[in-house]
Amino acid sequence: MNRFIECNGVGKIFPSKNEPVEALRGIDFVGEEGEFVCLLGRSGCGKSTLLMMMAGLETVTSGQIAVAGHEIKGPSSDTAIVFQDHGLFPWMTVQKNVEFNMKARGVAAKERRATASQFLEMTGLTGFGDRYPHELSGGMRQRVGIARALTTRPKALLMDEPFGALDAQTRGKLQDELLDIWEKQKTTVLFVTHSIDEALLLADRILVFSPRPGRIAADIKVDLPRPRTSQSGDFSALARELRGLVGADREID
Amino acid sequence: MQFKRALGLLPLALLLIAWDIAVELKVYPEILLPRPMKVLMVFVEDWQTVLDNAGASIMRVVTGITLSFLIAVPLGLMIGRYKLLDLMTDWSIQIFRSIPPIALIPLAILFFGIGDKPAIVLIFLAGLWPLLINTIFGVRGIERTLIKVARAARASEGLIMRDIVLPAALPSIFTGLRLAVGSGWLTVVTSELIAVKSGLGYMILNAQLSFRSELIFAGIFVIGAIGLAADQLVRRVRAYVCRWQEGLTASPE
Repeated sequence: MNRFIECNGVGKIFPSKNEPVEALRGIDFVGEEGEFVCLLGRSGCGKSTLLMMMAGLETVTSGQIAVAGHEIKGPSSDTAIVFQDHGLFPWMTVQKNVEFNMKARGVAAKERRATASQFLEMTGLTGFGDRYPHELSGGMRQRVGIARALTTRPKALLMDEPFGALDAQTRGKLQDELLDIWEKQKTTVLFVTHSIDEALLLADRILVFSPRPGRIAADIKVDLPRPRTSQSGDFSALARELRGLVGADREID
Repeated sequence: MQFKRALGLLPLALLLIAWDIAVELKVYPEILLPRPMKVLMVFVEDWQTVLDNAGASIMRVVTGITLSFLIAVPLGLMIGRYKLLDLMTDWSIQIFRSIPPIALIPLAILFFGIGDKPAIVLIFLAGLWPLLINTIFGVRGIERTLIKVARAARASEGLIMRDIVLPAALPSIFTGLRLAVGSGWLTVVTSELIAVKSGLGYMILNAQLSFRSELIFAGIFVIGAIGLAADQLVRRVRAYVCRWQEGLTASPE
Protein backbone atom coordinates (compact mmCIF):
# COMPACT_ATOMS: atom_id res chain seq x y z
CA MET A 1 0.00 0.00 0.00
CA ASN A 2 1.38 3.41 -0.92
CA ARG A 3 1.41 6.17 1.62
CA PHE A 4 -0.16 8.84 -0.54
CA ILE A 5 -1.58 11.08 2.14
CA GLU A 6 0.07 10.94 5.50
CA CYS A 7 -0.81 12.67 8.76
CA ASN A 8 1.59 12.06 11.64
CA GLY A 9 0.50 13.21 15.06
CA VAL A 10 -1.15 16.30 13.60
CA GLY A 11 -2.43 18.81 16.12
CA LYS A 12 -3.85 22.31 15.81
CA ILE A 13 -4.19 24.94 18.50
CA PHE A 14 -5.82 28.27 17.71
CA PRO A 15 -4.49 31.07 19.87
CA SER A 16 -7.26 33.16 21.38
CA LYS A 17 -7.56 36.01 23.86
CA ASN A 18 -8.75 33.95 26.80
CA GLU A 19 -7.60 30.39 26.38
CA PRO A 20 -6.01 28.71 23.35
CA VAL A 21 -8.49 26.43 21.60
CA GLU A 22 -7.30 22.94 20.77
CA ALA A 23 -9.01 22.06 17.51
CA LEU A 24 -7.22 18.82 16.68
CA ARG A 25 -5.05 16.38 18.61
CA GLY A 26 -2.94 13.45 17.51
CA ILE A 27 -4.34 12.86 14.05
CA ASP A 28 -2.66 9.80 12.49
CA PHE A 29 -3.90 8.67 9.15
CA VAL A 30 -2.52 7.20 5.93
CA GLY A 31 -4.55 7.49 2.74
CA GLU A 32 -4.02 5.53 -0.45
CA GLU A 33 -3.78 7.02 -3.90
CA GLY A 34 -7.14 7.09 -5.65
CA GLU A 35 -9.09 6.59 -2.43
CA PHE A 36 -12.32 8.47 -1.76
CA VAL A 37 -12.13 9.42 1.92
CA CYS A 38 -14.90 11.18 3.82
CA LEU A 39 -14.15 13.16 6.97
CA LEU A 40 -17.36 12.85 8.96
CA GLY A 41 -18.35 14.55 12.18
CA ARG A 42 -20.42 17.23 13.83
CA SER A 43 -19.58 20.87 13.36
CA GLY A 44 -16.67 21.98 15.50
CA CYS A 45 -14.87 18.64 15.45
CA GLY A 46 -11.95 19.96 13.44
CA LYS A 47 -12.59 18.09 10.19
CA SER A 48 -12.60 21.26 8.10
CA THR A 49 -9.52 22.52 9.92
CA LEU A 50 -7.66 19.34 8.94
CA LEU A 51 -8.73 19.86 5.32
CA MET A 52 -7.49 23.47 5.40
CA MET A 53 -4.17 22.27 6.77
CA MET A 54 -3.92 19.75 3.93
CA ALA A 55 -4.59 22.61 1.51
CA GLY A 56 -1.78 24.56 3.15
CA LEU A 57 -4.20 27.32 4.17
CA GLU A 58 -3.74 26.69 7.90
CA THR A 59 -0.46 26.02 9.64
CA VAL A 60 0.11 22.79 11.50
CA THR A 61 0.77 23.32 15.23
CA SER A 62 2.34 19.90 15.77
CA GLY A 63 3.10 16.84 13.64
CA GLN A 64 3.35 16.69 9.85
CA ILE A 65 1.12 16.29 6.83
CA ALA A 66 2.46 15.00 3.53
CA VAL A 67 0.67 14.66 0.21
CA ALA A 68 2.22 12.67 -2.66
CA GLY A 69 5.50 12.52 -0.77
CA HIS A 70 5.81 16.27 -0.15
CA GLU A 71 5.40 17.75 3.30
CA ILE A 72 2.71 20.45 3.27
CA LYS A 73 4.19 23.80 4.26
CA GLY A 74 1.80 26.01 2.36
CA PRO A 75 -0.51 25.78 -0.65
CA SER A 76 0.79 23.09 -2.97
CA SER A 77 0.19 22.27 -6.61
CA ASP A 78 -0.57 18.67 -5.62
CA THR A 79 -3.90 19.71 -4.10
CA ALA A 80 -6.92 21.74 -5.14
CA ILE A 81 -9.82 22.75 -2.98
CA VAL A 82 -13.58 23.18 -3.37
CA PHE A 83 -15.40 25.27 -0.77
CA GLN A 84 -18.96 25.01 0.49
CA ASP A 85 -19.72 28.58 -0.55
CA HIS A 86 -18.03 27.77 -3.89
CA GLY A 87 -15.69 30.79 -3.78
CA LEU A 88 -16.46 31.95 -7.30
CA PHE A 89 -15.33 35.43 -8.27
CA PRO A 90 -18.56 37.31 -8.98
CA TRP A 91 -16.86 39.71 -11.42
CA MET A 92 -15.51 36.92 -13.60
CA THR A 93 -17.51 34.94 -16.09
CA VAL A 94 -17.77 31.19 -15.57
CA GLN A 95 -15.01 30.74 -18.15
CA LYS A 96 -12.65 33.14 -16.33
CA ASN A 97 -13.44 31.53 -13.00
CA VAL A 98 -12.57 28.10 -14.31
CA GLU A 99 -9.36 29.48 -15.81
CA PHE A 100 -8.22 31.18 -12.62
CA ASN A 101 -6.19 28.38 -11.02
CA MET A 102 -4.36 27.87 -14.30
CA LYS A 103 -3.77 31.60 -14.66
CA ALA A 104 -2.28 31.65 -11.16
CA ARG A 105 0.20 29.05 -12.37
CA GLY A 106 1.14 30.96 -15.48
CA VAL A 107 -0.54 28.65 -18.00
CA ALA A 108 -0.76 30.37 -21.40
CA ALA A 109 -4.13 31.86 -22.33
CA LYS A 110 -4.73 29.53 -25.26
CA GLU A 111 -4.10 26.41 -23.24
CA ARG A 112 -6.25 27.80 -20.41
CA ARG A 113 -9.18 28.20 -22.76
CA ALA A 114 -8.84 24.71 -24.16
CA THR A 115 -8.51 23.04 -20.74
CA ALA A 116 -11.36 25.12 -19.31
CA SER A 117 -13.77 24.07 -22.03
CA GLN A 118 -12.79 20.45 -21.51
CA PHE A 119 -13.72 20.64 -17.82
CA LEU A 120 -16.79 22.76 -18.45
CA GLU A 121 -17.96 19.94 -20.68
CA MET A 122 -17.15 17.32 -18.07
CA THR A 123 -19.22 19.19 -15.48
CA GLY A 124 -22.11 19.81 -17.86
CA LEU A 125 -21.50 23.54 -18.16
CA THR A 126 -20.87 23.82 -21.90
CA GLY A 127 -22.61 26.96 -23.13
CA PHE A 128 -22.48 28.70 -19.76
CA GLY A 129 -18.94 30.08 -20.11
CA ASP A 130 -20.09 33.66 -20.66
CA ARG A 131 -22.48 33.77 -17.70
CA TYR A 132 -21.70 35.42 -14.41
CA PRO A 133 -21.93 33.28 -11.24
CA HIS A 134 -25.03 35.06 -9.92
CA GLU A 135 -26.90 34.00 -13.04
CA LEU A 136 -26.44 30.34 -12.13
CA SER A 137 -28.26 28.06 -9.68
CA GLY A 138 -26.47 26.82 -6.56
CA GLY A 139 -25.77 23.43 -8.10
CA MET A 140 -24.32 24.96 -11.27
CA ARG A 141 -22.11 27.27 -9.21
CA GLN A 142 -20.67 24.32 -7.37
CA ARG A 143 -20.05 22.58 -10.69
CA VAL A 144 -17.98 25.60 -11.67
CA GLY A 145 -16.07 25.32 -8.39
CA ILE A 146 -15.35 21.65 -9.10
CA ALA A 147 -14.35 22.34 -12.72
CA ARG A 148 -11.95 25.03 -11.53
CA ALA A 149 -10.35 22.68 -9.02
CA LEU A 150 -9.89 19.95 -11.63
CA THR A 151 -8.19 22.09 -14.28
CA THR A 152 -4.77 21.83 -12.67
CA ARG A 153 -5.13 18.04 -12.42
CA PRO A 154 -4.52 17.88 -8.68
CA LYS A 155 -3.33 14.63 -7.14
CA ALA A 156 -5.68 15.19 -4.24
CA LEU A 157 -9.03 16.97 -4.48
CA LEU A 158 -10.02 18.53 -1.15
CA MET A 159 -13.72 19.26 -0.72
CA ASP A 160 -15.12 21.17 2.25
CA GLU A 161 -18.83 20.29 2.53
CA PRO A 162 -19.24 21.17 -1.14
CA PHE A 163 -22.88 20.10 -1.35
CA GLY A 164 -23.90 21.28 2.11
CA ALA A 165 -25.86 24.28 0.86
CA LEU A 166 -27.78 22.46 -1.89
CA ASP A 167 -31.29 21.04 -1.88
CA ALA A 168 -31.57 17.26 -1.60
CA GLN A 169 -32.30 16.62 -5.27
CA THR A 170 -29.44 18.73 -6.61
CA ARG A 171 -27.21 17.25 -3.99
CA GLY A 172 -27.93 13.69 -5.11
CA LYS A 173 -27.26 14.64 -8.72
CA LEU A 174 -23.94 16.28 -7.92
CA GLN A 175 -22.89 13.31 -5.78
CA ASP A 176 -23.41 11.00 -8.77
CA GLU A 177 -21.55 13.37 -11.06
CA LEU A 178 -18.68 13.67 -8.62
CA LEU A 179 -18.33 9.89 -8.49
CA ASP A 180 -18.26 9.77 -12.31
CA ILE A 181 -15.54 12.40 -12.38
CA TRP A 182 -13.59 10.63 -9.64
CA GLU A 183 -13.69 7.37 -11.57
CA LYS A 184 -12.58 9.10 -14.77
CA GLN A 185 -9.85 11.25 -13.23
CA LYS A 186 -8.61 8.65 -10.73
CA THR A 187 -7.82 11.46 -8.33
CA THR A 188 -7.73 11.04 -4.58
CA VAL A 189 -10.65 12.79 -2.88
CA LEU A 190 -10.89 14.04 0.70
CA PHE A 191 -14.45 15.08 1.34
CA VAL A 192 -15.66 16.79 4.49
CA THR A 193 -19.30 16.25 5.38
CA HIS A 194 -21.59 16.08 8.38
CA SER A 195 -24.07 13.85 6.58
CA ILE A 196 -23.81 10.12 7.32
CA ASP A 197 -25.80 9.24 4.19
CA GLU A 198 -23.56 11.35 2.01
CA ALA A 199 -20.44 9.73 3.45
CA LEU A 200 -21.88 6.24 2.87
CA LEU A 201 -22.94 7.02 -0.70
CA LEU A 202 -19.54 8.38 -1.66
CA ALA A 203 -16.66 7.04 0.38
CA ASP A 204 -14.31 4.08 0.23
CA ARG A 205 -13.39 4.97 3.72
CA ILE A 206 -14.87 7.15 6.43
CA LEU A 207 -12.90 8.89 9.16
CA VAL A 208 -15.26 9.68 12.00
CA PHE A 209 -14.23 12.70 14.06
CA SER A 210 -15.13 13.39 17.65
CA PRO A 211 -15.00 16.89 19.11
CA ARG A 212 -13.10 18.86 21.78
CA PRO A 213 -10.35 18.33 20.84
CA GLY A 214 -10.94 16.89 17.38
CA ARG A 215 -9.70 13.31 17.05
CA ILE A 216 -10.31 10.42 14.74
CA ALA A 217 -12.77 8.25 16.65
CA ALA A 218 -13.10 5.55 14.01
CA ASP A 219 -11.72 4.60 10.60
CA ILE A 220 -14.33 2.65 8.68
CA LYS A 221 -13.96 0.92 5.36
CA VAL A 222 -17.06 0.99 3.16
CA ASP A 223 -17.15 -2.02 0.88
CA LEU A 224 -20.59 -1.49 -0.59
CA PRO A 225 -20.71 -2.02 -4.38
CA ARG A 226 -21.19 1.04 -6.55
CA PRO A 227 -23.46 2.62 -7.67
CA ARG A 228 -24.94 2.79 -4.20
CA THR A 229 -28.30 3.84 -2.86
CA SER A 230 -29.53 3.97 0.69
CA GLN A 231 -31.09 0.55 -0.02
CA SER A 232 -27.71 -1.06 -0.81
CA GLY A 233 -26.75 -4.13 1.26
CA ASP A 234 -25.34 -3.08 4.59
CA PHE A 235 -26.11 0.60 4.13
CA SER A 236 -28.54 0.91 7.01
CA ALA A 237 -26.44 -1.22 9.34
CA LEU A 238 -23.41 0.95 8.63
CA ALA A 239 -25.50 4.09 9.02
CA ARG A 240 -26.62 2.90 12.43
CA GLU A 241 -23.07 2.15 13.45
CA LEU A 242 -21.92 5.59 12.28
CA ARG A 243 -24.77 7.30 14.07
CA GLY A 244 -23.57 5.71 17.28
CA LEU A 245 -19.98 6.79 16.64
CA VAL A 246 -20.77 10.34 15.68
CA GLY A 247 -22.98 10.77 18.69
CA ALA A 248 -26.54 12.01 18.75
CA ASP A 249 -26.65 15.43 17.23
CA ARG A 250 -29.37 17.20 15.44
CA GLU A 251 -27.03 18.24 12.67
CA ILE A 252 -26.42 14.64 11.69
CA ASP A 253 -29.05 13.19 9.41
CA MET B 1 -39.20 54.13 -17.34
CA GLN B 2 -38.28 57.08 -19.59
CA PHE B 3 -41.59 58.70 -18.77
CA LYS B 4 -41.17 58.19 -15.04
CA ARG B 5 -37.70 59.68 -15.25
CA ALA B 6 -39.37 62.98 -16.25
CA LEU B 7 -40.77 63.10 -12.68
CA GLY B 8 -37.35 64.40 -11.69
CA LEU B 9 -38.18 67.64 -13.52
CA LEU B 10 -41.31 68.30 -11.44
CA PRO B 11 -39.70 70.08 -8.44
CA LEU B 12 -37.64 72.16 -10.87
CA ALA B 13 -40.76 73.23 -12.78
CA LEU B 14 -42.50 74.18 -9.53
CA LEU B 15 -39.49 76.24 -8.52
CA LEU B 16 -39.55 78.05 -11.85
CA ILE B 17 -43.23 78.89 -11.44
CA ALA B 18 -42.68 80.15 -7.88
CA TRP B 19 -39.82 82.28 -9.11
CA ASP B 20 -41.89 83.80 -11.91
CA ILE B 21 -44.69 84.59 -9.49
CA ALA B 22 -42.20 86.20 -7.08
CA VAL B 23 -40.96 88.45 -9.87
CA GLU B 24 -44.53 89.39 -10.88
CA LEU B 25 -45.37 90.21 -7.26
CA LYS B 26 -42.18 92.31 -7.04
CA VAL B 27 -41.01 90.59 -3.85
CA TYR B 28 -37.58 91.93 -4.73
CA PRO B 29 -36.72 94.67 -7.25
CA GLU B 30 -36.01 93.24 -10.65
CA ILE B 31 -32.38 94.31 -10.55
CA LEU B 32 -31.89 91.77 -7.72
CA LEU B 33 -34.32 89.08 -8.78
CA PRO B 34 -34.31 88.96 -12.60
CA ARG B 35 -37.02 87.39 -14.74
CA PRO B 36 -36.38 83.77 -15.75
CA MET B 37 -36.39 84.92 -19.37
CA LYS B 38 -33.60 87.38 -18.72
CA VAL B 39 -31.47 84.65 -17.17
CA LEU B 40 -32.15 82.47 -20.18
CA MET B 41 -30.95 85.29 -22.44
CA VAL B 42 -27.54 85.10 -20.76
CA PHE B 43 -27.04 81.77 -22.51
CA VAL B 44 -27.77 83.46 -25.84
CA GLU B 45 -25.85 86.69 -25.38
CA ASP B 46 -23.02 85.70 -23.04
CA TRP B 47 -22.66 82.02 -23.91
CA GLN B 48 -18.98 82.48 -24.62
CA THR B 49 -18.30 83.81 -21.10
CA VAL B 50 -20.31 81.01 -19.51
CA LEU B 51 -18.69 78.35 -21.68
CA ASP B 52 -15.12 79.55 -21.08
CA ASN B 53 -15.56 79.76 -17.34
CA ALA B 54 -17.38 76.42 -17.11
CA GLY B 55 -14.57 74.89 -19.15
CA ALA B 56 -11.95 76.31 -16.77
CA SER B 57 -13.78 74.94 -13.72
CA ILE B 58 -14.30 71.51 -15.29
CA MET B 59 -10.63 71.25 -16.29
CA ARG B 60 -9.56 71.94 -12.71
CA VAL B 61 -11.89 69.32 -11.27
CA VAL B 62 -10.89 66.73 -13.85
CA THR B 63 -7.19 67.36 -13.19
CA GLY B 64 -7.55 67.40 -9.40
CA ILE B 65 -9.78 64.32 -9.14
CA THR B 66 -7.66 62.39 -11.63
CA LEU B 67 -4.67 63.02 -9.37
CA SER B 68 -6.59 61.94 -6.28
CA PHE B 69 -7.78 58.81 -8.07
CA LEU B 70 -4.27 57.85 -9.19
CA ILE B 71 -2.94 58.20 -5.68
CA ALA B 72 -5.88 57.14 -3.49
CA VAL B 73 -6.82 53.92 -5.28
CA PRO B 74 -3.42 52.14 -5.24
CA LEU B 75 -2.74 53.44 -1.74
CA GLY B 76 -6.18 52.36 -0.52
CA LEU B 77 -5.77 48.87 -2.01
CA MET B 78 -2.48 48.47 -0.13
CA ILE B 79 -3.80 49.87 3.15
CA GLY B 80 -6.88 47.66 2.92
CA ARG B 81 -4.81 44.56 2.25
CA TYR B 82 -1.90 45.03 4.66
CA LYS B 83 -2.70 45.34 8.35
CA LEU B 84 0.57 47.12 9.24
CA LEU B 85 -0.02 49.87 6.67
CA ASP B 86 -3.51 50.26 8.06
CA LEU B 87 -2.25 50.66 11.63
CA MET B 88 0.32 53.14 10.40
CA THR B 89 -2.07 55.35 8.42
CA ASP B 90 -5.42 55.09 10.21
CA TRP B 91 -5.04 58.04 12.59
CA SER B 92 -3.47 60.30 9.97
CA ILE B 93 -6.33 59.64 7.57
CA GLN B 94 -8.90 60.37 10.26
CA ILE B 95 -7.15 63.64 11.15
CA PHE B 96 -6.60 64.96 7.64
CA ARG B 97 -9.99 64.03 6.28
CA SER B 98 -11.64 66.12 8.99
CA ILE B 99 -10.08 69.32 7.63
CA PRO B 100 -12.42 70.97 5.12
CA PRO B 101 -10.45 71.86 1.97
CA ILE B 102 -11.88 75.38 2.17
CA ALA B 103 -10.01 75.91 5.43
CA LEU B 104 -6.81 75.36 3.48
CA ILE B 105 -7.47 78.13 0.94
CA PRO B 106 -5.33 80.70 2.81
CA LEU B 107 -2.42 78.28 2.98
CA ALA B 108 -2.85 77.26 -0.65
CA ILE B 109 -2.68 80.90 -1.73
CA LEU B 110 0.44 81.48 0.39
CA PHE B 111 2.19 78.48 -1.13
CA PHE B 112 0.94 78.55 -4.70
CA GLY B 113 -0.23 82.13 -5.28
CA ILE B 114 -3.34 82.97 -7.28
CA GLY B 115 -4.21 80.72 -10.22
CA ASP B 116 -4.85 77.13 -11.26
CA LYS B 117 -2.37 75.55 -8.89
CA PRO B 118 -3.96 76.30 -5.50
CA ALA B 119 -7.40 75.32 -6.85
CA ILE B 120 -6.16 72.00 -8.23
CA VAL B 121 -4.31 71.20 -5.01
CA LEU B 122 -7.47 71.86 -3.00
CA ILE B 123 -9.63 69.73 -5.32
CA PHE B 124 -7.02 66.99 -5.13
CA LEU B 125 -7.29 67.04 -1.33
CA ALA B 126 -11.08 67.22 -1.43
CA GLY B 127 -11.21 64.09 -3.57
CA LEU B 128 -8.38 62.21 -1.93
CA TRP B 129 -10.08 61.28 1.36
CA PRO B 130 -13.41 59.95 0.13
CA LEU B 131 -11.60 57.92 -2.53
CA LEU B 132 -9.03 56.59 -0.09
CA ILE B 133 -11.52 55.69 2.61
CA ASN B 134 -13.94 54.01 0.23
CA THR B 135 -11.17 52.05 -1.46
CA ILE B 136 -9.98 50.74 1.91
CA PHE B 137 -13.56 49.93 2.85
CA GLY B 138 -14.04 48.07 -0.42
CA VAL B 139 -10.97 45.90 0.14
CA ARG B 140 -12.11 45.06 3.68
CA GLY B 141 -15.40 43.77 2.34
CA ILE B 142 -13.85 41.01 0.23
CA GLU B 143 -15.29 37.61 0.95
CA ARG B 144 -12.65 35.59 2.79
CA THR B 145 -13.23 32.46 0.76
CA LEU B 146 -12.13 34.32 -2.38
CA ILE B 147 -8.74 35.12 -0.88
CA LYS B 148 -8.46 31.49 0.25
CA VAL B 149 -9.19 30.30 -3.28
CA ALA B 150 -6.43 32.52 -4.59
CA ARG B 151 -3.94 31.46 -1.94
CA ALA B 152 -4.72 27.79 -2.46
CA ALA B 153 -4.08 28.29 -6.19
CA ARG B 154 -0.76 29.89 -5.27
CA ALA B 155 -1.65 33.13 -7.05
CA SER B 156 1.04 35.80 -6.90
CA GLU B 157 0.39 38.90 -4.83
CA GLY B 158 0.24 40.92 -8.06
CA LEU B 159 -2.45 38.68 -9.51
CA ILE B 160 -4.42 38.77 -6.24
CA MET B 161 -4.32 42.58 -6.31
CA ARG B 162 -5.28 42.88 -9.97
CA ASP B 163 -7.81 40.09 -10.38
CA ILE B 164 -9.36 39.94 -6.93
CA VAL B 165 -8.72 42.90 -4.63
CA LEU B 166 -9.24 45.61 -7.26
CA PRO B 167 -12.43 44.24 -8.83
CA ALA B 168 -13.88 43.42 -5.41
CA ALA B 169 -13.26 46.99 -4.30
CA LEU B 170 -14.50 48.65 -7.51
CA PRO B 171 -18.13 49.23 -6.48
CA SER B 172 -16.91 50.94 -3.35
CA ILE B 173 -14.24 52.85 -5.27
CA PHE B 174 -16.98 54.25 -7.49
CA THR B 175 -18.96 55.32 -4.43
CA GLY B 176 -15.80 57.16 -3.39
CA LEU B 177 -15.47 58.67 -6.84
CA ARG B 178 -19.02 60.02 -6.74
CA LEU B 179 -18.33 61.65 -3.38
CA ALA B 180 -14.97 62.92 -4.62
CA VAL B 181 -16.42 64.50 -7.76
CA GLY B 182 -19.19 66.13 -5.71
CA SER B 183 -16.75 67.42 -3.15
CA GLY B 184 -14.28 68.53 -5.85
CA TRP B 185 -17.00 70.49 -7.61
CA LEU B 186 -17.95 72.30 -4.39
CA THR B 187 -14.29 73.05 -3.78
CA VAL B 188 -13.58 74.42 -7.26
CA VAL B 189 -16.39 76.95 -7.07
CA THR B 190 -15.40 78.03 -3.59
CA SER B 191 -11.73 78.40 -4.39
CA GLU B 192 -12.58 80.35 -7.54
CA LEU B 193 -14.39 82.87 -5.38
CA ILE B 194 -11.08 83.57 -3.68
CA ALA B 195 -7.96 82.11 -5.21
CA VAL B 196 -8.44 82.13 -8.99
CA LYS B 197 -9.29 84.67 -11.66
CA SER B 198 -11.37 82.44 -13.91
CA GLY B 199 -14.03 79.74 -13.66
CA LEU B 200 -17.71 79.76 -12.67
CA GLY B 201 -16.99 80.84 -9.09
CA TYR B 202 -15.01 83.80 -10.33
CA MET B 203 -17.69 84.59 -12.91
CA ILE B 204 -20.48 84.90 -10.36
CA LEU B 205 -18.29 86.90 -7.99
CA ASN B 206 -17.46 89.27 -10.84
CA ALA B 207 -21.14 89.47 -11.81
CA GLN B 208 -21.94 90.57 -8.28
CA LEU B 209 -19.35 93.38 -8.49
CA SER B 210 -20.82 94.57 -11.80
CA PHE B 211 -24.38 94.17 -10.46
CA ARG B 212 -25.48 91.63 -13.06
CA SER B 213 -27.71 89.38 -11.02
CA GLU B 214 -28.95 87.50 -14.13
CA LEU B 215 -25.37 86.35 -14.72
CA ILE B 216 -25.13 85.19 -11.10
CA PHE B 217 -28.32 83.17 -11.52
CA ALA B 218 -27.14 81.73 -14.81
CA GLY B 219 -23.83 80.78 -13.20
CA ILE B 220 -25.56 79.05 -10.30
CA PHE B 221 -27.71 77.02 -12.69
CA VAL B 222 -24.70 75.95 -14.69
CA ILE B 223 -22.89 74.91 -11.50
CA GLY B 224 -25.88 72.79 -10.50
CA ALA B 225 -26.36 71.33 -13.95
CA ILE B 226 -22.72 70.32 -14.30
CA GLY B 227 -22.86 68.75 -10.83
CA LEU B 228 -25.82 66.66 -11.93
CA ALA B 229 -24.19 65.72 -15.23
CA ALA B 230 -20.93 64.70 -13.53
CA ASP B 231 -22.78 62.50 -11.07
CA GLN B 232 -24.79 60.85 -13.84
CA LEU B 233 -21.60 60.23 -15.77
CA VAL B 234 -19.89 58.50 -12.84
CA ARG B 235 -23.00 56.39 -12.25
CA ARG B 236 -23.09 55.29 -15.87
CA VAL B 237 -19.43 54.35 -15.87
CA ARG B 238 -19.94 52.44 -12.65
CA ALA B 239 -22.95 50.59 -14.00
CA TYR B 240 -20.84 49.53 -16.98
CA VAL B 241 -17.65 48.61 -15.12
CA CYS B 242 -19.54 46.80 -12.35
CA ARG B 243 -22.09 45.16 -14.66
CA TRP B 244 -21.33 41.79 -13.03
CA GLN B 245 -23.14 43.19 -9.99
CA GLU B 246 -26.50 43.49 -11.76
CA GLY B 247 -29.02 41.46 -9.89
CA LEU B 248 -26.73 41.08 -6.88
CA THR B 249 -27.59 44.32 -5.14
CA ALA B 250 -30.95 45.52 -3.91
CA SER B 251 -32.64 48.33 -5.80
CA PRO B 252 -35.30 50.71 -4.40
CA GLU B 253 -38.90 49.73 -5.17
